[in-house]
Amino acid sequence: MIHKLAPAMLLVVSITFGIAGSGSATGPNSSRHGERETDDRGVLQAIAKAPVKTRQWHNPYDDQPSAILAGKKLYIQHCAECHGANGRGIGRAVNLHLPYVQRATPGELEWFLRDGNLWAGMPSWSGLPEQRRWQIVSYLKSLR
Amino acid sequence: MIFRFRHISLRFASWWFPGGTRFFVRVSLGFFILYFVLVQRTNAQETPYFVAYSHHLEEPGNLEIELSTNYGTQTRGNDFIAPWVEFEYGVKAWWTSEFYLDSQATFGDSALFTGFRWENRFRPLMHEHWINPILYVEYENLNGADKTTIEVVGFDTQADHAPRNTEASKEHQHELETKLILSSDYKGWNISENFIGEKNLGHQPWEFGYAAGASRPLRLSATPETCNFCLENFVVGAEFFGGLGTSWNFTTAGTSHYAAPIVKWHLPHGVSFRVSPAFGLNGNSHAFLLRWGVSYEIDGFGRKVGGWFR
Repeated sequence: MIHKLAPAMLLVVSITFGIAGSGSATGPNSSRHGERETDDRGVLQAIAKAPVKTRQWHNPYDDQPSAILAGKKLYIQHCAECHGANGRGIGRAVNLHLPYVQRATPGELEWFLRDGNLWAGMPSWSGLPEQRRWQIVSYLKSLR
Repeated sequence: MIFRFRHISLRFASWWFPGGTRFFVRVSLGFFILYFVLVQRTNAQETPYFVAYSHHLEEPGNLEIELSTNYGTQTRGNDFIAPWVEFEYGVKAWWTSEFYLDSQATFGDSALFTGFRWENRFRPLMHEHWINPILYVEYENLNGADKTTIEVVGFDTQADHAPRNTEASKEHQHELETKLILSSDYKGWNISENFIGEKNLGHQPWEFGYAAGASRPLRLSATPETCNFCLENFVVGAEFFGGLGTSWNFTTAGTSHYAAPIVKWHLPHGVSFRVSPAFGLNGNSHAFLLRWGVSYEIDGFGRKVGGWFR
């Protein structure tokens, strides 16, 4: 009997652990004073790891209003769940209006979207075609 | 003609509601309801393959529910339809866990629940590379009547699916499956290669198989408008899969091989459809398989459920 139930028990433990784990990783994380603690420092460090050559990368959709609109659509589909509809961040997900995000070059942001920051919970968006990542970068830069 | 249609309809209904599959249907309906209660929809970036895997994992905290079906023709036996339901959860950005419930119904025979699978995919390298490896481990607790054909290993042939369900279901498959997934993205294309090793936890040797796929969206950039039928929502590709014998006899002969074009259609609100006819490439294969599936992605599922326990 134990032999038959073991896989099911293992599954329940895994899912419980997994949901609890991811809930704490991405969920609201308030301090005692009610202020939101974000993973700003981690993201700053992650963006700083972008290869130097990425600073030279040019956004092919620079200054194209249609790309900003397309980027906004993509942002709502893929990013808003964690970063919020207004980009101010939810839980540990970073506030995209912060100066160090806005100061990052388009190339660094595109690289960061492609690579993600997997340990910190930011997925890699390499599955999105490069063009769509640039469109998201166009939208992020329009938040300034 | 009408009689024939009615006969087919009744037979279809009997596939879904006799004993074994009742549980499967209830679970599926339960999750559909949960979906409509909780849902915030999104589009996943997963590739369209049925057998091959890419390095794109489920986004952390998201739950994807997919209902898929495999229809197969059978040379010495009756054709069948094998539905399964998948629950794919992004535990971490580098770890995806997936649970399957399998069932099948064979024409002129019976319908039954055939077991479950539980798989985990881990991404060992934290950055994107030219080739991205994923480690895959799956536990399978199935019976011999399973016909989902989610992978082909060892000397799997269509003859394995010929026995009647009462006979086939007596075999207990208690297996550990591992995969090395290698995957690359280049100019909008995804190219994935999977090497499969499966071990029956009884006494049998390791069985090997392969799967490879390539896919690409029909349009790489997004349009500003939300649309259903624009090219950016369609992903097309193909996959190839088959067996590679066992650790005692590593070979491509005596097993089955398939080639399968695939189309996936993402609707803007997180619903995806995919369909793939698969063609057997030798006499050991089913001449024709038709796989189709519909999936829904629940954004932030983990956070919502986690919030209930705080």
